[in-house]
Amino acid sequence: MVMRSVLVRLLEWRARRFSDPADRLQFLRRSVSGPVAKPRRLRRALEHLPVLTIAFGLVLAAGVLLTSGRHALGVTATANSRPAAPDRKLADASYTAAPVSRVWLVQSNPQFDLYSNGLRVENQYATSAQPRHYLALARTATGASEWRTEPAGIVFHTTESHMAPFEEDQNQMLRRAGEGLLEFVQRQRAYHFVIDRFGRVFRVVRETDCANHAGNSVWADESWIYVYLNRSFLGVAFEAQSNPRAGDAAVNAAQVHAARILTEMLRSRYDIPAANCVTHAQVSVNPGNWRAGYHTDWAANLPFRELGLSNNYREPPASVLLFGFRSDSLLAQSGGAGVTPGVEAAEGQLRAEAAARGLTLDLYRERLQRRYRDAIRALAEKSAPEEYNE
Amino acid sequence: MNTDTQATSAIGLDVGTSRIVAARRQDKDVQFQTQLNAFVTIPFSKLTQSVLKKERIPHVAQDSEITVYGDESERFANLFHKETRRPMLRGVLNPEEADSIGLVQRIVILLTGEEQGQGQKVCFSVPAAPLGADAEVNQHEIELKNMLGKLGYEARGISEGLAVIYGEMENSNYTGIGISCGGGLCNVCLAYLSVPVFSFSIPKGGDFIDSSVANLRGEPATRIRTIKEESFHFNGHFANKIHQALATYYEDMIQALVASLKDQFASVQNMPKLNRPIPLVLSGGSVMAPGFRDRFEKTLRETELPVAISEVRLAASPMHSTARGALVAALSEL
Repeated sequence: MVMRSVLVRLLEWRARRFSDPADRLQFLRRSVSGPVAKPRRLRRALEHLPVLTIAFGLVLAAGVLLTSGRHALGVTATANSRPAAPDRKLADASYTAAPVSRVWLVQSNPQFDLYSNGLRVENQYATSAQPRHYLALARTATGASEWRTEPAGIVFHTTESHMAPFEEDQNQMLRRAGEGLLEFVQRQRAYHFVIDRFGRVFRVVRETDCANHAGNSVWADESWIYVYLNRSFLGVAFEAQSNPRAGDAAVNAAQVHAARILTEMLRSRYDIPAANCVTHAQVSVNPGNWRAGYHTDWAANLPFRELGLSNNYREPPASVLLFGFRSDSLLAQSGGAGVTPGVEAAEGQLRAEAAARGLTLDLYRERLQRRYRDAIRALAEKSAPEEYNE
Repeated sequence: MNTDTQATSAIGLDVGTSRIVAARRQDKDVQFQTQLNAFVTIPFSKLTQSVLKKERIPHVAQDSEITVYGDESERFANLFHKETRRPMLRGVLNPEEADSIGLVQRIVILLTGEEQGQGQKVCFSVPAAPLGADAEVNQHEIELKNMLGKLGYEARGISEGLAVIYGEMENSNYTGIGISCGGGLCNVCLAYLSVPVFSFSIPKGGDFIDSSVANLRGEPATRIRTIKEESFHFNGHFANKIHQALATYYEDMIQALVASLKDQFASVQNMPKLNRPIPLVLSGGSVMAPGFRDRFEKTLRETELPVAISEVRLAASPMHSTARGALVAALSEL
């Protein structure tokens, strides 16, 4: 209690060093709510520390304040209503996302759409579903959630359908399997796009509408949390199996190329950040048993780099970090070098957050799980309730 | 925060039921511009239209009508013996007016002086949802955000009560209670070190007082508003029945505000531990009646609240507090 009081007074004292009201507000919001700090402002904040007059102990305490002030301040009504942002350093991978060049529609007719990057999207299976309209939840306590109609990201899937050997004498079988798959996907409105084994891209559910591709699912970027990604993310499925026969790759070069230019088109048209291009295994959850990774397609081996994306496998899954889901053993088996590092990082952050709050890990998880239930309940109240499962 | 670029690249907008106020920083000062959030329609004629154009009266001609909007609407309403109409009602877009968002857009353009923004940050005020009206407020915020987005701004809504805190409570590090008594609603927010703890609104504002007194005395609401703004004061002696009725409904509004504040304190969970008494600031057009602050403080002091109030003060410029706070919020995001 005494410590808390000291920290509050220190924070207030530091805030008063800012004569500009906007700077002061930004400092306070950053310190109390923990939004993403802009390095320039952080530097400016530090410049206001009158180093010569501050005893070493106070500087130390201020350091503690910057890291743990949020918990000590007791602004639990709203400031702590969302957990901390993931450590973005974890996302440092050996490669980063390629810059998105502008892609535009060159030709459009009932059969196909042609885009400026060479992408041709076949339209013969295109169908409509429920129009997209979803609530993006603000990640910071001070931010307001917002209704949107534009897709926020992409979830990559595998169809897990029957795979005939990819050989010339199997052409008829390959085509028949592909057509059957597309008819099924169209009936189920299962994905927005399917990339068949010849690298053709088929539009199934139109981008303006929701597809039934992700089920119970969660993802978050730096600013927003998305729950139930059928509504907010586009589903792109490779005609493929996650665990192909030994020695076979899950997808071939034609599919990877098609996925790359499709991703480029979608990111360009809908302003989708690379961080929101993820796999089904990364986002899928089972609220029945609080396991993350209910579906395991692309738990590993999605060629992020070849798709022009950063290695999002290293991102701590939002389901674990923000809502207390546990990693499924099946996911761990399937993950390997894929989702496993991100899941482990999330677990580590979770332990640290629990310790910082003086809670056991289980108790902290329970709190996060309650947040998930609250979020689902709030969404169900504002949308079609039957879509959300607690 | 003092560079020229930042000084010109953010706008605070108070989108109120009766007025829209824009705040911009110019050098060290904040400049405000205000327009009535109102309009009046008059019959179309080419002559009228050409006069309006010549006189640079903001208007739009459509079908058989000319709509005059902003400050000039009141003058034309008097000229044509009509009542002004409002694009907003009780803090949100008026569902009775077909082109409410279009009119708000035109008034915003009048204020910003720009047909198209250039990606500037705009924070605009939105009311806290009155009990059971979340959807209305959400929709209102979405429509304003979309409208401002189409005008080329990067827009974000901010709760009106919180904007008052950002506009008026720098000295307490944005800790305290901000109250904005506007035309349609009274908005309240408690914040601790800039973080909102709770926000709410009650559907009683200046319009409620005007229409209630108008009904009671059988007078037009416009006349009541004029009397209220020009000659009413809380001094215990009322010159006439209209003043007496105004005092009654002001009292009703104050009682409702304080009672709601007490209820909100009782229901809020995880209330932060406040280490000292907190200030309360009153803003908005409806707090400007002489004696209002004293009356409010008296009622507040008679009510037992779980926090100590250090002072009850009127905002330095009650009509501009929300816009100023919205500007501070926008600048803090640069």
